[in-house]
This record gives sequence, structure tokens and C-alpha cells, in this order.
Amino acid sequence: MTLAEASSVAAAPAVPPEDAAPPRRKSWFRRLLRDKAAVVAMSVLGIIILGAIFAPLLATHDPYVNSRSVMTPPVWQAGGEAEHLLGTDGQGRDIFSRILYGSRLTLLIGLISVGVGGFIGSMIGLLSAFYTRLDAWLMRLMDMMLSFPAILLGLALVAVMGQGAVPVIIALAISSIPDCARISRGIAVGVMKMEFIEAGRAVGLSDRDLFRKYLLRNCISSIMIFISLRFGQVILIGAALSFLGLGARPPMAELGMMASQGRDYLLFAPHIAVIPSVVIFIIVLCANVAGDALRDVLDPRLQA
Amino acid sequence: MISTITDRLLLSIPVLFGVLLFGFLLLQLVPGDPAQVVAGPMAAPDVVEAIRVQMGLDQPMIYQFWAYLERMAQGDMGRSMISNKAVTEELWSAIGPTVELMVACLFWSVPLGIGMGTLAAVLRGSLVDRFIMGLSVAGVSLPIFFIGLLAVQYFGVLWFNLPFIGRGGPLWSADGLMHLILPAVSLGAIMIGPVARMTRSSVLEVLKLDHVRTARAKGLTETQVILRHGLRNALIPVVTLIGLQAGYLLGGAVVTETIFSWPGIGRLTVGAILSSDFTVAQGAILVFALAFIIINLIVDVLYSLLDPRVRR
Repeated sequence: MTLAEASSVAAAPAVPPEDAAPPRRKSWFRRLLRDKAAVVAMSVLGIIILGAIFAPLLATHDPYVNSRSVMTPPVWQAGGEAEHLLGTDGQGRDIFSRILYGSRLTLLIGLISVGVGGFIGSMIGLLSAFYTRLDAWLMRLMDMMLSFPAILLGLALVAVMGQGAVPVIIALAISSIPDCARISRGIAVGVMKMEFIEAGRAVGLSDRDLFRKYLLRNCISSIMIFISLRFGQVILIGAALSFLGLGARPPMAELGMMASQGRDYLLFAPHIAVIPSVVIFIIVLCANVAGDALRDVLDPRLQA
Repeated sequence: MISTITDRLLLSIPVLFGVLLFGFLLLQLVPGDPAQVVAGPMAAPDVVEAIRVQMGLDQPMIYQFWAYLERMAQGDMGRSMISNKAVTEELWSAIGPTVELMVACLFWSVPLGIGMGTLAAVLRGSLVDRFIMGLSVAGVSLPIFFIGLLAVQYFGVLWFNLPFIGRGGPLWSADGLMHLILPAVSLGAIMIGPVARMTRSSVLEVLKLDHVRTARAKGLTETQVILRHGLRNALIPVVTLIGLQAGYLLGGAVVTETIFSWPGIGRLTVGAILSSDFTVAQGAILVFALAFIIINLIVDVLYSLLDPRVRR
């Protein structure tokens, strides 16, 4: 690169490609709205999240208090009572209220672990693309971490720390790190080859500015999409751990745990296990459909 | 070819070391004093001290780790804190059933997933394609325990009366096979979605290539083109997918074994953790990690066998 070229690059705006494509930015949301399945998925997910946030206002009963009507079926089945919309569980607790509180914990476990794991993982990925000297070491470390599947890590941590939501969150966060690191490294390596990075170097930007303003800003949306795609998986693993009795502890309500409590009544009151399982299914399905649609609209390159 | 395998084997040494270190730390981090646990809560202090020396717990950490590695190399994982049986013995009797379950699950789910994916790719954009893809998204979103519970409810109780508790006996007996059906069906259900999706995109990719056009130009029938020239090449990424999904599958096995009381490693692990049997839990977790490493090793080797471009 000649000096003249370098100075003309220096005059260019600091974040070239992001602002370079305003038409795409404007229309991605409209394109997303055209995908009917995605709109339905996002609305349903939104309703469930709102329900979880406002659980104390929406709950018709105290989710932890037993009542005399035990194993009442949901209102649309014979023998259902209008008082308990989704019926009651084996201890007479109102399932509708427990679902609201339970999805709170389930969603929270998913959000925190994907957030923390995604953040650490993508930082590792970006750093190893930015400082190529670190690359081999960091990626070997990620390979090693990959050989501990999430559920195994969860089992190990619960063995050490005892049952509870915290070891589950830690395990899910740690196991999200290597995947996120690999994907974000892949994205960042592509960006690092672009000319504006070289240009930034040429005009003497500090590593810090180059990393934050040039690399990070150009990778962040792709990385966020990948992290959102991981959300569903994390929820499934978390619920499975709770189902095994290793996650949240009673009397806390958690969807996976509610399903496992319902297992004992499967033959005479299947709704106790089925309803929380279906709610998990809906959450994960909506997250997957919405994530897929977001990816198709924003970053089809990730489709691999 | 041979160098690929040796490279891959050498790479797994640090991973194996990491796994062993992890297993060692696991027992160190467990709350409570191991010597006290072995001696019992009422033991006199000098007895506890003697046991501590006997177990080598008074030695520096690095010596303890070395001693631990030595014991592991000799296949000595200690004794169960509950049943007092050798951990290796307990693990050994549980490995067979888990392998049985995994093989049975892959045996039906992978071919079905490949078939569904190919069909979806060939009929791209049709209703069939949309239906299969919808089904596979739903499949990846289903909690594995839900599939198991539904299987127990409908196939076990309401419709078919299939056995759903424990393992019936050796695989070659009718009873053993009957008991294997429901767990294998439930576990396999989580594999179909990913396999179908991967096959579809991979077949679509391959069908665009030149050699497929040549095959068509030669006048081969569409079935021959797809089966012989398309699918064969498209299956390579599917093999790697199985390696990537190994962790997911092992996790699924833990849940499935618990639901169906299948006497495998997964149920052993969960039971050991819930009853604070740390030596068994540690051994089982090590076996799981080892299984994961071995599966990925096999997949990598298979990959280089199937795809000449990877060989160098």
C-alpha cells in the first residue's frame, strides 16, 4: 500500500463496512416480518417471556402452596375446574402458576449461561483471530474443553457443588464457550483479512482501537445470531439436568423438574408431566425458528 | 493415511491428560475430608490421621496426582463408597448396556435421518421438503425426557405393552430385544432431526457439482444419479456430524437410561451423584469423557478414509 492510498483510507470514516450498507440495515426487519413462521415464533416467545417476567401479577395461586384438589385435570378435560386453568399437580399446587414461575427460572438459567458463555467464548475467538500467536494455544484449549459435553460437566459440577441452579448455570456457560469461540474465530478470521484492517494498522491505530472499532463491530451481529441459536440447546440441557434431579431444588419451580415430578403420576394424571414438557418444547422450538430466520435474513453465510 | 491417525492419536494425549486432571480435581474439590468419610463420623482423631497417611492425603498435591495417575494406569479407581465394590467392576458391568443402547439407537435413526434428508433435498421446495424440515426442527426442540415419557405412556402402557423397565437380558434373547426397543426409539428420536438437516444441505451442495451433471448427461436415471453420485459424496459431512453430536447423544443416554432404568453408565453416574458416591461418580465421568474422545477419534479416522482430499 502506498502512502497516498493510506492517507485516503485514513480520511474514510472509522467504521467502514457497517455504515457502508444502509439499504440492508433498513430492510432486514421488514424481510424478517415477511417470514410468517418467524413472526409467530417470536410472538409466542415474547408472550412466554412476558408471562415469566410478570409471573407474580399473572399467577392465580401461590405456586408453592398445596391445596386439597390434587391431580385435577386441566379445565378443558372432564373433571377440570375453572379455578385451576391447567389443573393441579400431585401435591395440589396450581400448575398454571407454577408454569409461570417455572419458566422464569428456566429462561433465566438459559439467558445467564448463554450470555456469560457466549461473551467469554466470543472474546476468546476474537482474540485468537486478532493475535495469531495465541491462536494455536487457544484453539487447542477449546478442543480440550469440547471433550467435556455439557451434560457431563453439569454432572461433575453438581457432584462437587451439590444440587442447585448455580452449578447448572456454570456448567452450561462453560460448555457454551468452545462452540462460541470456534464460530466467532471463524467469523473474525474472515474480517481480519479485509483491507480496512490493514488500513487501520497502516494509519497507526492502537491494537485496542483496531480490536474494538474495526474487528468487534464487524463481527458482533454474526456472533449474536449464533449465540441466539445456542439458547434453545442450553435450555434443553438445563431442563434435562433438572429432570434428573440435579438442577434447581424443590420447592423452587423449574419446568424440567416439574416434568420429572409428574413422572410418578404419568398413568393417572399425565398432564402434570406433559404440560411443563410442552412449554419447554414451545420455548425451544420458537427460539430455534426465530434464530434460523434471523440468521437467514442477517447473515446467510453462517448457514453451514 | 497412517500419519493422519498418528497425528490424531498424539493430539488426544493432552486431552486425555486434561481429562485425568479434571477427574483428580473433582475428588479434591468434593466437600468434606475424604479420610473422615472413610473412617466414619465417630472415629477418633488418631484413627482419621492414620487413614490420612495410609491414603497418602498428607503428601503434597503433586505427589498425590502422580500416585493417582499410577493407580489409573493400573486400572485401579478405588472402591465404591456405598457398595464397597471396585469401581472398575461397577463400570465394567454398566458399559455393555450403554454401548448396546447407543448402537441400537444409531442403527435405526441414522439411516432414517439420511433417507428423510435426501428426500427433502431431492424434492426441494415441495410440501414434502417443508414437512420433513418442520419435523426435524421440532425434533431438535423436543426435550429428550418428554420423548421418553411419551414412549412409556403410549407404547409402553396404552397401545403396545412394550416393556419399559430395565434390561431384559442378553441382546440375543427375545426379552432382551423387546426391552431395548423403547429406550432405543426414544434416544434415536433426538438424532433424526440433526442428521436429516445435515443430509439435506449436503446433498443439495453435491447435486450442484460437475460430476453430477456428467452423470445426468451420461443418461443415468435420476435415482442412480442421486444414490450413486450424490448421496455417496454427501454422506461425508454426515459422518462428522455424528462425532459432533456424540456429546449430545451421551447426554441423551443419561436421561434415557434414567427414565427406563437401563443399567448403563448414565444411570450409574446419576445414582452415584445423588447418593454422594464420589469414587463411582468420578470413574463414570472419566469413562464418559473417554468415550467422547474415542468416538471423535473414530470419526476423524473414518473421515480421512472416506474423503481422499483430507489425506495428505
